[in-house]
Amino acid sequence: MDTFKLYIRSIGMLLKGHLQYPASFVMQTVAQLVMEGGEMLAVILLVDRFERVNEWTGGDLFFFFGMMSVSFYITEFFGRGVTGDFPSMVRTGKLDTLLLRPRTIFVQVLCSGTDPRRITCIAVGVAALAVGSRMSGVVWTFAKVLALVESVCMSCMLILGLFLIEAVFCIHSVKSVELVNALTYGGRSACQYPIDIYPRPLRILFSVAAPFALTMHVPAAWILGKPLYGWPAWTTFVTPLSGAVVFALMVLIFNRGMKFYRSTGS
Amino acid sequence: MSYIEVNGLRKSFVVRKKREKGKLFREKDTVEALKGVSFSVEKGELVGYIGPNGAGKSTTVKILSGILTPDGGEALVGGRVPWRERREYVKHIGVVFGQRSQLWWDVPIIDSFSLLKDIYRIPSAEYEKRLGELKEALGLNDIMRTPLRLLSLGQRMRAELCGSLLHRPELLFLDEPTIGLDAVSKIALRDFLKWENSEHGTTIMLTTHDMEDIAALCSRVMVLGHGQKLFDGRLPDLLEKFDTVRTVNVKYGAAVPSVSFPEGVSASWTDNELSLTYSPAKLPTAQLLLLLQEAGPISEMTLQPENIDHLIAAMYKEMDL
Repeated sequence: MDTFKLYIRSIGMLLKGHLQYPASFVMQTVAQLVMEGGEMLAVILLVDRFERVNEWTGGDLFFFFGMMSVSFYITEFFGRGVTGDFPSMVRTGKLDTLLLRPRTIFVQVLCSGTDPRRITCIAVGVAALAVGSRMSGVVWTFAKVLALVESVCMSCMLILGLFLIEAVFCIHSVKSVELVNALTYGGRSACQYPIDIYPRPLRILFSVAAPFALTMHVPAAWILGKPLYGWPAWTTFVTPLSGAVVFALMVLIFNRGMKFYRSTGS
Repeated sequence: MSYIEVNGLRKSFVVRKKREKGKLFREKDTVEALKGVSFSVEKGELVGYIGPNGAGKSTTVKILSGILTPDGGEALVGGRVPWRERREYVKHIGVVFGQRSQLWWDVPIIDSFSLLKDIYRIPSAEYEKRLGELKEALGLNDIMRTPLRLLSLGQRMRAELCGSLLHRPELLFLDEPTIGLDAVSKIALRDFLKWENSEHGTTIMLTTHDMEDIAALCSRVMVLGHGQKLFDGRLPDLLEKFDTVRTVNVKYGAAVPSVSFPEGVSASWTDNELSLTYSPAKLPTAQLLLLLQEAGPISEMTLQPENIDHLIAAMYKEMDL
């Protein structure tokens, strides 16, 4: 609880810092809107041209897109320390100063970054979710809301976990992180569409290595009334937990990595 | 047992070099930053830690503050091993880096302090009391609501000090705290450190290149070079060891014929003024005075020890650093 309070206060302070430069903040936020709006436009064009992909209708596609946008950008908003700032913390020696404080490194890294500009991206995602569920005629029940919330939470953890892979590489001072980007940003681009439109290797990649399909597509498909692979309803609530598993595993590895950092750093 | 006990501390780094033309792999170099350093520091001591760049000063500080794990050797600070149980250990120490800020850049420093209160879990009453005291001692009252980035270097350094002392550490490490500060700020900083040391008995370990810092603050100085401890003792003793040359300025009341000095004395004349350097070990001072007096009526005379920086440079040279 104490840690949570610390996190909230840290992020609050960083937000205050961001707002010290209002003009820059507004411009960058608008830029984000244009960027994410462009992504959405791609889906709109796709829907306009094909009407349906496999058995997914336009509304379904918006819904999947919204799931990914909301999850990914909430993670970037609140977990910027992990998703963006960590490499520079290693390079500039800020990580050293974090080691001087009586808190876990992971918590401190999380506490030291936020990206409020992503707010517009999240808004686009929410809009897509609303439009999608409307078009597909989703009838919201308590269970469906619960499934949506769980799915978003678990997806955030999964994304955080995947970015931690990059962080671990950074600790070992490896610069080329393209491979990891394939999972994070690649995962975002690929998995804004339902998994079953992809060939087998990609399906395996995003179900096992980076299980977006489990945290997002299984519950989303169930909410839309077209269960993925015809799986039973309970899977909707179980498979997303894989996000927490990936997250926990990566936090463990990250902590091991910090031990290595302390024994090799200069 | 002493407060800080360090025994045979070793640490080496692997430096990867740029790949040479025609070679398949990059060469690796192992740099031994510390080759078995031992010392002990009592509680409440104010110790200066000097040495040329790359001598291993910062590495020592990093090991003793728990950032780095050494390759070998032992260290105990207040009965704790710095690199084990890092989180418990760092509650009892404070570290200030002269070239690296630990406060938040864009927000007023009071906000930074209040976040540090949460990080260190300092009780509110205790925090208010300590902050009030430090604010007063460091003269921070007027800048509490100013963001860090708008402060001058001297003000920033004082804010950093305040931030690192809020949790009342028993031990404070300062890594080149006066780097880039003007004379007024330096003096204020030194006065504060003396105050903190005498008022709260905080043990202070200071690395610096500024010999004035050492002269003004430290009862004891350690010299590090090539990863080894070369000297450990009082500053005057260190200076005596290497203080071989003195400068004398003499002004005569009237023009005097040139004096012939024995070998080892270099003298230069401008009008009636003579400036010379000599070494008391080779030419006894009494004898020199006699020579000077015989030459003519002396109207003024000053004798000065050599500049500390020159001394240290001579010492580094002699020790082959």
